[in-house]
Amino acid sequence: MIYLIGLWESVREFIATGGDVLYFVAAALFLMWMLMIERYWYLKTVFPKVKKTIIRNWDDRTDTTSWYAHRIRETWISQASDDLDARMLIIRTLVAMCPLIGLLGTVTGMITVFETMATQGTSNARLMAAGISMATIPTMAGMVAALSGLFISSRLEAKVKMAKEGLVDSLPHH
Amino acid sequence: MKPVFKSLVAAATLAVFATGAHAQEAASLQDLLEQVKENRVSEARINQQREAEFQSARADKQALLKKAQSDLTAEQNRGERLQQQFGNNETTLNEKAAELESATGTLGEMFGVVRQAASEAYGRISTSIVSAQYPGRDDFLAEMSEESKGLPNIQELEDLWFTLQTEMTESGQVVRFTTQVVNLDGGSSEQEVVRVGTFNLVGEDGYLTYDAENELVQPLGRQPDGPLVGSAEDLVEATSGFVPFYTDPSQGAILGLLKQKATMMERYHAGGAVGYTITVMLIIGLLIGVYKLITLTITGSKIRSQLKNPGNPSSSNPLGRILKVYQENKTADAENLELKLDEAILKELPSIESGINVIKIFAAIAPLLGLLGTVLGMIETFQTITLFGTGDPRMMAGSISMALVTTAQGIIAALPLILTHSIVASRSKSIVHILDEQTAGIIAAHSEAERV
Repeated sequence: MIYLIGLWESVREFIATGGDVLYFVAAALFLMWMLMIERYWYLKTVFPKVKKTIIRNWDDRTDTTSWYAHRIRETWISQASDDLDARMLIIRTLVAMCPLIGLLGTVTGMITVFETMATQGTSNARLMAAGISMATIPTMAGMVAALSGLFISSRLEAKVKMAKEGLVDSLPHH
Repeated sequence: MKPVFKSLVAAATLAVFATGAHAQEAASLQDLLEQVKENRVSEARINQQREAEFQSARADKQALLKKAQSDLTAEQNRGERLQQQFGNNETTLNEKAAELESATGTLGEMFGVVRQAASEAYGRISTSIVSAQYPGRDDFLAEMSEESKGLPNIQELEDLWFTLQTEMTESGQVVRFTTQVVNLDGGSSEQEVVRVGTFNLVGEDGYLTYDAENELVQPLGRQPDGPLVGSAEDLVEATSGFVPFYTDPSQGAILGLLKQKATMMERYHAGGAVGYTITVMLIIGLLIGVYKLITLTITGSKIRSQLKNPGNPSSSNPLGRILKVYQENKTADAENLELKLDEAILKELPSIESGINVIKIFAAIAPLLGLLGTVLGMIETFQTITLFGTGDPRMMAGSISMALVTTAQGIIAALPLILTHSIVASRSKSIVHILDEQTAGIIAAHSEAERV
């Protein structure tokens, strides 16, 4: 418990030096990871069942070569890939947004720096340093968030693509 | 030159006339001789007289010299005497000083300390908000720290002790008292205020400041943000128990800085025309986004219910309209039917996809506009530099922070627009996929089911 309190304190200290923009970075990061975990879960547990059902339905068909059969096959593939692609665009967008939020932090931090300069002059470097840490920490946080998401989301995209192609390949024309 | 010359000529003529007259007086040589003789006698007499006069004067001067010499000796004697006296006095003085020093002993050091303590206490107590409650405490301290010679008496020492003790005791107390508060509009009113130690004064309107120079209590020029003022109001209204309260440990300096900070609204308006344009774009983009989200959700649910019932197409949704085309062309061959379906699908797509690109464009333009605002702000900054030079960083810093505001606004507008676009785009994409890739299959499955 005390360890958790200490952890929370260090997080609060980090946010205090980095400014409120860090909350937005944290929110984007949280949302992004939740969606990515959900996608992994879908790929690992739900999709194999869906795939099996589709394959069974296809194998059960007697007619697999007519125009009707082709259209039905395409529909099944399209439906399955729609489910696979769901929320992937939002994950990609969130990954792209993270550095932008960091940039917002940079700009607001710089505004703070210049405001300090405007009211206090350049004599007190310590007062300016507060604004500078508010400018740099969100940028770093945004970058780290984007990097963490970038790696996983590209892995996820590759997996989704493989899953789609695997489905297409396992629906042969008899 | 001319008048001088003229007068010279006149003088010469006069002299000639004079000798002429003289010559006329001495008519003959004999007369002249007589006259010379006479003159000699009288001149000798005059000379004798003058000599006698000189003699007597000489005697006088001699007497004067004697007197002066005797004076000099007298003064010299006096000087010697005084010098000796001075020397004697000097030794006495040294003796007395040594005597004083030995008599004062360690007390001299103490008086120095007292004076220093008094001047330090004056500096602190005159600016302390406790003085708002007990005015006039600092007057004797000012006197005491300023008088450099005289020794403080017991009364003064006790007063110093008492004042320091009061300050110390009061700094640990939260006290309520009534005082005159000068409002920002110039008027003044009797108010009940709460003093928290030596840190803050709080009144009905929130935080107060104490102007030590004029001994005035006045409200802070700009009150800090909501929760801080709220806690101050709670403190004023509280009658007992514990009240959480934001104190300013720097005794008002931080609150003073807060006064100079720009509010959110001020910063927003600093963005100027560019900022307003960005805001308009954000609002339009979000409205389009919300509208598309609602219409797409309605269309999506209609399509889903149509999917469950493909045999009974309704013209209220895109999928139903496409299925209708199939029902009308049931007898056509597959190739012909596909062409007809494609045509029907193409008709549906524009209304689904419309507006989505506008959000995307707005999301892309907003940060660019922010950049434009920054550049305009920088131009302004450089104009300031041309006018006033770089001497005062405050001048430049002001307009630079204005310039950065538009960048921030651009990014702030872009973020929700990007998110909205991606949500709306994924919604529309799934609908387009249903129409584009799945209608043919739905029709095929339906007709197969019908055939069986």
